Amino acid sequence: MATFELYRRSTIGMCLTETLDEMVQNGTLSPELAIQVLVQFDKSMTEALETQVKSKVSIKGHLHTYRFCDNVWTFILQDALFKNEDSQENVGRVKIVACDSKLLTQ
Amino acid sequence: MAASATSQVYIDVIEDVMVKVRDEFVNNGGPGEEVLKELQAMWESKMMQAGAVLGPIERSTAAKPTPGVTPVHDLNVPYTEEYETPTAEMLFPPTPLQTPIQTPLPGTGDNSTYNIPTGPSDYPSSGNDTGGNADVKGGRPATYMQPPSPWMNPRPSLDVNVAYVEGRDEADRGTSNQPLTQDFFTMSSGKRKRNDLTSQYNAGGYIPQQDGAGDAALGVFEIEVNGGDISINSHHTISKGKMQADVERLTTRIPQLDGPAPYDDEIGTPNMYNYEVFSDDYNISNTPAPPEVPVSTPVLLAQNEVGNDEDDDDDEPPLNEEDDDELDDMEQGDDQNTHHLVLAQFDKVTRTKSRWKCTLKDGIMHINNKDILFNKATGEFEF
Repeated sequence: MATFELYRRSTIGMCLTETLDEMVQNGTLSPELAIQVLVQFDKSMTEALETQVKSKVSIKGHLHTYRFCDNVWTFILQDALFKNEDSQENVGRVKIVACDSKLLTQ
Repeated sequence: MAASATSQVYIDVIEDVMVKVRDEFVNNGGPGEEVLKELQAMWESKMMQAGAVLGPIERSTAAKPTPGVTPVHDLNVPYTEEYETPTAEMLFPPTPLQTPIQTPLPGTGDNSTYNIPTGPSDYPSSGNDTGGNADVKGGRPATYMQPPSPWMNPRPSLDVNVAYVEGRDEADRGTSNQPLTQDFFTMSSGKRKRNDLTSQYNAGGYIPQQDGAGDAALGVFEIEVNGGDISINSHHTISKGKMQADVERLTTRIPQLDGPAPYDDEIGTPNMYNYEVFSDDYNISNTPAPPEVPVSTPVLLAQNEVGNDEDDDDDEPPLNEEDDDELDDMEQGDDQNTHHLVLAQFDKVTRTKSRWKCTLKDGIMHINNKDILFNKATGEFEF
């Protein structure tokens, strides 16, 4: 199963990476094993998003920057409005990083 | 998706990862179950600190007592019985670990591949931790705190006067920046001893009025203090009346005030003098004696050399400010500073003139300090 490392930049991914960093520096964990944990996280996170999450979101805003590089879209929005079923959020500046979903199914 | 739902997904992901890497930890000469538990505990506690997981964590496999959750760091979560007896190991895991992380170690080469995403998070994490970096940081605020203090001194009106006159003097002499610090030194040099004496009366708030002549003003203050609350008001008027007189005297006395400065310089070693300058900075606004500045030009030159340390301090904040500005302009800085980020996969991105439409799926959003997950998202952007 192919996975993205994309989600490592999320809160949960950062927390895991920090923890692994500390444990590797501490000598409790080998770097190889730490990478294995991260790869497993990639899989588990992707799977959880596919199977457990059902919500939909709409995003509107002024597109400040767009970039498509190495099959990754990057958008920087200004004055963006995020809406989902039960709430909406205003953000002055937000970055969207999106990988090509087709790469996973190949 | 509500925060609680996000939290539950995160908990499930953690659990799933733990279950699936368990083999690697327990078998094949792995580090063992204990290390796995430690990993889980640290991960979960970091998640709670970040507010991404709403503790306490309930598990389907509730048999596990989740021994490693470190409740000390977790201010958002109410204590529950099972967390209440943490071992020292759990309480202080980050302490010895935190500091080495930033310093490159022999193992760094191996780690670099998975280290990459950590980069931006190093600073926030160390900032949150009261442990490891406390020592390192402990020293710095002191140096940073010193320069602002003269501005924060609670005597605005006098401050303004001093700054104004000084600024004009600078302009007249066509020199930049340096005279500002020089002025401070001069004033402090002339008044040093008196300030030391009077600093304890600062609470009274009338110190500025004793600028002109040390002896007379000192007398006033002693009376005030001895007299207590009742007599203070009357002494107000006295001191105010004196102040005007003092100011006049001040202008006439300038040569005398100027005298002691070089004298002190010759006697005191530069280092000693320098220290006193630092402490005197706090009292600058108490002793508005700008008129003496032009007179004492030669002294200023001499003191400028002594005051080089102070100049260095002045140089540092601008450097930092520039760094911040650069970060603000850079996208990386946005990541670190704003923390609004959407990570997702895209199905389709289209554009018609300046209207962009995209469909995203399986995303994690971190917006306004909330983690929101989505299965599908549609975006409409105007470029």
